[in-house]
Amino acid sequence: MSFKYSLNLQIPFENSKQSAIAQGSLAPDPILKPNEISVIYSINSKNPNILEVKFSGDSDRVIRVAANNVIENLKTIIECMDEFDGKKNIIFIQE
Amino acid sequence: MVNLDSYLKPGKDHYYALGLEGSANKLGVGIIRHEKGELTPNNKATVLANIRDTYITPPGEGFLPRDTARHHRNWIIRLIKRALIVSKLKGLDLDVICFTQGPGMGAPLQSVVIAARTLSQLWDIPLIGVNHCIGHIEMGREITNSTNPVVLYVSGGNTQIIAYSRQRYRIFGETLDIAIGNCLDRFARTLKISNNPSPGYNIEQLALKGKNFVELPYTVKGMDLSMSGILEYIDNLAYDLFNNKKNKLLTTESGEKITTADLCFSLQECLFAMLVEITERAMAHVNSNQVLIVGGVGCNERLQEMMAIMVKDRNGSIYATDERFCIDNGIMIAHAGLLAYRMGDTTPLNETVCTQKFRTDEVLVKWRDD
Repeated sequence: MSFKYSLNLQIPFENSKQSAIAQGSLAPDPILKPNEISVIYSINSKNPNILEVKFSGDSDRVIRVAANNVIENLKTIIECMDEFDGKKNIIFIQE
Repeated sequence: MVNLDSYLKPGKDHYYALGLEGSANKLGVGIIRHEKGELTPNNKATVLANIRDTYITPPGEGFLPRDTARHHRNWIIRLIKRALIVSKLKGLDLDVICFTQGPGMGAPLQSVVIAARTLSQLWDIPLIGVNHCIGHIEMGREITNSTNPVVLYVSGGNTQIIAYSRQRYRIFGETLDIAIGNCLDRFARTLKISNNPSPGYNIEQLALKGKNFVELPYTVKGMDLSMSGILEYIDNLAYDLFNNKKNKLLTTESGEKITTADLCFSLQECLFAMLVEITERAMAHVNSNQVLIVGGVGCNERLQEMMAIMVKDRNGSIYATDERFCIDNGIMIAHAGLLAYRMGDTTPLNETVCTQKFRTDEVLVKWRDD
């Protein structure tokens, strides 16, 4: 199916491991209305640190809603990485 | 006997699990420890952290999925960190990350599983999706040492009477429309009383001051209940009370005026009597004399008292927990998830999608074979 509207997001991460993890966290959730919008996650072929999200939909409104949702999820993912990446062997203490 | 230790890591004699719960307006993170071997009164699970943050709305308002999800997103990473601080554990110590896969509100569930997936990948720890109701049941059994009880699961989103048979927790009766907690919460909204710490708690406190019983519809249907009609009925009474409309139901036989406290009292008495009735019938069906009450409404002391009277007549025993374990929490998810993990279950990343509908009897209870 072809859609009238599209939006591409490119989200740079610190390394390719992080971009792959972000894709792994986002990709499992199904799109609620597949006849109105599609969302495709991929790793940038030139720079593996970049996660690409391609939205295409039949109105700008459904794209806005979906993009908002992805960005909200990315905030949690990035906060999680900031706090915990590379710290598996650390005992956290009260700051 | 089920062997719970086939998957114990070499050289270890215990397990740690992190549990994340966010199916409604409570966000909970818990860390639990199991020693190897069967769980018995002498080999109990240890709670290392049990942290909760509740999204509380203003009086007269319920919590909406989108706002609740925003609350959870805002706090989840901080709560995980706080749980790790309190437990003094490293990521390396954790065997499994457990999350609520359903039932519950879609957006809040999804906001929490995102954190679970990311942490699982960062630290290379397996995930396990947990049925929320199974979490309540298993935690209730562990805390109270009840072996094979009839379980009354009463909360904001669920009302079920459950008993175990052949590796399933089977639903004997349930609500046909709204949950009991939902009924109480919505009446609290009608009265515009505070949602802090919870609307049900504030109704319970008001009900203590009530003394006149207003008769309400009593709607037990076989083993099931219906509560939406009762809510409609009492909402109308409250409306007449607030607007000083004439209604002969709002005056007692001796001419006393019915108060909001009386309405809270009557609502509780009516709803809880219905619960006690179906619980008693379930006990007779399965020949059990233990009752375990779980879920947020299970904290209600009047419900516990009424149930205790019935159970005493049957020479049985009643088991209930306090707010730390009754109200939604992360520790119960960690506990139930760890039981499944010890039986060899894990949930692959692409199967971690949360679901709003997830029935209690869909779960195969591998960790029991009685």
